[in-house]
Order: sequence, then structure tokens, then C-alpha cells
Amino acid sequence: MPFVEFNGKKLEVNEEGFLADPAEWNKEVAEFFAKKEEGIENLSEDHWAVINYIREFYLEKETAPMVRKIVKTTGFKLKYIYELFPSGPAKGAAKIAGLPKPDGCV
Amino acid sequence: MSKKNETKDPVIEKIEQLTPADLEKILQVFKEKIDHRYAAYFNSCVHCGLCADSCHYYLTHEDLQSMPAYKLNLMMSVFKGVAASPAHKTGKNTGEKEKISFYRRFLSGIKEKYSRWVGAEKLDKEMVKEWVDSLFGRCSMCGRCSINCSIGLNIPYLIRAARGALTAVGIVPPGLQSTVDTAMEKGNNMGIAKEDWVETAEWIEEELQDDIENPAAKLPLDKKGAKYFYTINPREAMFFPLSISAVGKIFFAAGEDWTFSSDNYDVTNYGLYNGDDYAAGTMSDRLVQSMQKLGCNTLVLAECGHGFNSNRWEAPEWLSKEYGFDVKSILEIVAGFIREGRIKLDPSKNTEPVTLHDPCNLVRMGGIIEEQRFILKHAVSDFTEMTPNRQKNFCCGGGGGQLSMTRFSRRRLKAGKIKADQIQKTAAKIVATPCHNCIDQLMELNKHYQLGVRIKTVCEIAADALVL
Repeated sequence: MPFVEFNGKKLEVNEEGFLADPAEWNKEVAEFFAKKEEGIENLSEDHWAVINYIREFYLEKETAPMVRKIVKTTGFKLKYIYELFPSGPAKGAAKIAGLPKPDGCV
Repeated sequence: MSKKNETKDPVIEKIEQLTPADLEKILQVFKEKIDHRYAAYFNSCVHCGLCADSCHYYLTHEDLQSMPAYKLNLMMSVFKGVAASPAHKTGKNTGEKEKISFYRRFLSGIKEKYSRWVGAEKLDKEMVKEWVDSLFGRCSMCGRCSINCSIGLNIPYLIRAARGALTAVGIVPPGLQSTVDTAMEKGNNMGIAKEDWVETAEWIEEELQDDIENPAAKLPLDKKGAKYFYTINPREAMFFPLSISAVGKIFFAAGEDWTFSSDNYDVTNYGLYNGDDYAAGTMSDRLVQSMQKLGCNTLVLAECGHGFNSNRWEAPEWLSKEYGFDVKSILEIVAGFIREGRIKLDPSKNTEPVTLHDPCNLVRMGGIIEEQRFILKHAVSDFTEMTPNRQKNFCCGGGGGQLSMTRFSRRRLKAGKIKADQIQKTAAKIVATPCHNCIDQLMELNKHYQLGVRIKTVCEIAADALVL
């Protein structure tokens, strides 16, 4: 699998840029992915609200939450979630939160 | 924790572990899928090369392995070896014995040791690796080679047969197989629990009611005897529910009698892509069960290219049964509403330039060609076709299960360059496409090639133009 250089250290990712080992995730990795994958220079409080929720959900259930749950927990409007993460919840937010790629048409 | 620099490729590892019995099984399954018509195909390629320039993989990679005729030859050479081998002289299915007799006549008298004279190859581990690389990794089963083939060979069918033979011994790229496995085990390809889907449907209903300020708009779940049973792609419920509320809005505006199902609603079928007929049949049969449970009149398939091809055309074959109900694309239904004057669209509500991408499975393979254009011409004020379009359209690169096979994702993006160029030439700001698989690939192309467009389903655009 390929690697990306980050803070002088090598991070293993899959061919689509998803983090290979979710345990290697931390806030700096999220910031790095946000910039690299979504072009987000600075993660706002709202970005973090979504990322942290997805991360916690994943650690507990080993899957990404449905967008319904993200909206319900954060209180954000659905359209705002897509504004925050232009690639959407799976290839945008979940990728930044260090989740593996989900199955299905994504 | 050990560093994974030395991580072995799980597919290659599996191939290395194949036993002679496994290789024999691949041949047996492959042979069973090739009846006399397809055996004839194998001997019909005249090497004219027209397929090369029709294939988005060949046009973007320009290597021999990407040429459809090369892929055909990989399968043909193995098939010749099977046909010439004495071990395969009699068909296993007694009812279908001599199913390749036409071909065998051609090969009769050729002893195994001479079979190379006719281009026969043995299926060994190296050949299995080549099959995986070319048949899984360089083909989106879009069928463009077939319509450009001077003798009309059905190459996607043969590729699917070969994929199915590999799948029978567990040789499938992991993401593709896990999508099939999740669907088989959990009832839908994203593993959504029933209560989560029901809660999501209720939430979409509330959002829709707020949006149009009318509490009468409903998303009916499990309504027995409704005229239409509408399926969804689990991806919509999971991550992109706006396409579901768009369809709900259109059905509401038309005053139509329709329903969702709380289970067995998944329109997708990745069994089409891994070639596993049993899995494919099982998935499609779930929709049949929902039709029976709900007693609906017509099965309405969401905007999903391969789901349409699977459930409209292939599934009755997989299940060996005739459907006692109609199967339609949602596009046919919405176009019908417009024709009958049951909904009114105002194109001035969508003024940005729009183009349309034709999903291969819906258009070239599925025959739904004009409905999406008819809808868009009523829903937007600035519509431009890509060139080429309709049945001649290029694949976006996301079909054939490519989106799920991460290992080939770089090739997929490169093969999508043709689509990216097509989009750019239209100067459109919105790309409409009636397929969620295509949407995801187009979103990636948008990012990768910096196209600056937005991707939408046809129904999302139509819903925005509705006059309520």
C-alpha cells in the first residue's frame, strides 16, 4: 500500500487515501487529511463537531454513522454538512476522521 | 506493532495458495457458463481492433492489456484448452450435455499436447493473475466494445462469466466481495439496520414537509396494495438522502399511490460484478419478495444503472422465472407524470448550464435513453449534450464494481479522463446522471480534474423545478 509523508513520518494509506490503520489517527492527522483531501486549510469548530462524532461512533460500532445520526447529534442542517465537507460524509468527513472506506456504491 | 511494509497482497497470496482442484473448479464453472452461443463468440473475433478505440481503458492507458480483444483472448485461450482437454469431454449437467458440441467439433481430434496450435493456454496461477488484472482491473463492463465490435461479440457477458469462475474459488478483489457479502448477510450493501432506515425515512419525511410547508407530503412505508413499490440505493439512506426526498416530492406532487419497504429495498446488486449468479439471484429475489409482501403493481427502480440492468433484465434469468409484475425505472414514471400533465415543471427554476451523463447499464445495456432527456428539457433552461452520447456514450469509469476495488482506483481515475474532458467541453456547471455509482465516480473526477461542477440525480433537478 502507498504511504504519505506527514510530520517527517510515513503514514500508510490505501490507494484512495483512506488511512490504513485507524489506530494511527490523531488530530494532526485529521488536519493533514482535511487539507490534502478536502482542501480545508483550517478545521472549524463545526468541522470538529462532525469529525469527533463520526470518530466516536466508529470506535464504538466499527462503522460510519448514517447522515441522519450526524444531523441529529450535531444539530446541523443536512445541506450544511455537505458545505462543510464537499466530498460528503463518506469520502470527506469519515476519511478525515480516519475511518476505512465503507462498502457499497461509494 | 509490526510495520506493514512487507504486507502481502491478499489476492496474490490467495492465488499462490490455489490447489490443482481449485484451478479445475475455475475451469468447470467457466465452462458451465459458456453455452454454444458464447463458445461461438470465442471463435469469432477477427482481430479487427475496432474495440481498442472504443474502450476508455485502452484510450487512456494505451497498453495491450487494456485492449478488449486482448481480454477476450485471455479467456478464449483458456476456453480452447478446456474444450480440447479430455477431462472435459462430457458436460456435467446431463440436461445440457454437449452444450459446447459446436465448438468441440472444431477442436475434435486435437489432442491436448497439440492444443497450443490453436492458441489454447493452460489455466495456471500466472494466468489467474492475468485474469484478475485484466478482467477485474481493466474493465468496467460498460459494453462500449460490444457495440463497436464488427461482429457484435458480447464481451461484458464473457468477462462476467470469467469473473464468476474466479469468484467461485474466492479470487475476487476484497472491496467488491465485501460489498456482496454485506448485502448477502445484512440485506443491503451498506449493512443498514432496519430501525435506522425507518428512522431515516421518517426524518426525510419531516424535512420534506418543512421544505414545502405542507404536512400532507408523506413517505409511505410498507403501504400494502400501493401502485408503485419504490426501491433505493442504500447509499442514499446512509449518506445522500436528498435524492430520496426529491422522489418523494415528485410522487407527492403527482398525487401518486406509492410506497417504500422497511426491508428488502436495496436496488443495487454487486453480484452483477463479481459474476456470482447465486448471490445476484438472491439479492434480486428480495425485491420480488417485497413486491409479493406489499402486493404492489409495479417495481420502480431508483436512479441506479447496474441496479436497473440487474433487476429489469438479468434477474429473471438468474432466478429462472418470469416476473408477474412490471419493472420500471423511476425515470419512466416521472416522464409519464410530465406527459400526462400530472406534474408541472418550471425550467426557469434551474438556470445553470446542465449536461447529462448516460450510465452504461441504464442506457447502452438497459434501453432507458430518452426519458432522462425529456425530463431535463422540462426542468432546466440550459441543457447541452455531451459528445458522444446516448448508447455511444463513454463510461465514467466507475462501473463494473471499479468503485469498490480500491486496488485499481488509480487506473479508474485515469480511465475517467475521457469523461472529464467530455464534461469540460460542455461548459456545464451541473452534471445530471441517473446513477449513484456514476455520481460517486463523477464526484471524484470533479475533484481530481478540477472540473468545478456539481453532480445531481435527474430527480433532484426535476424536484427543484416542481411547481407545487
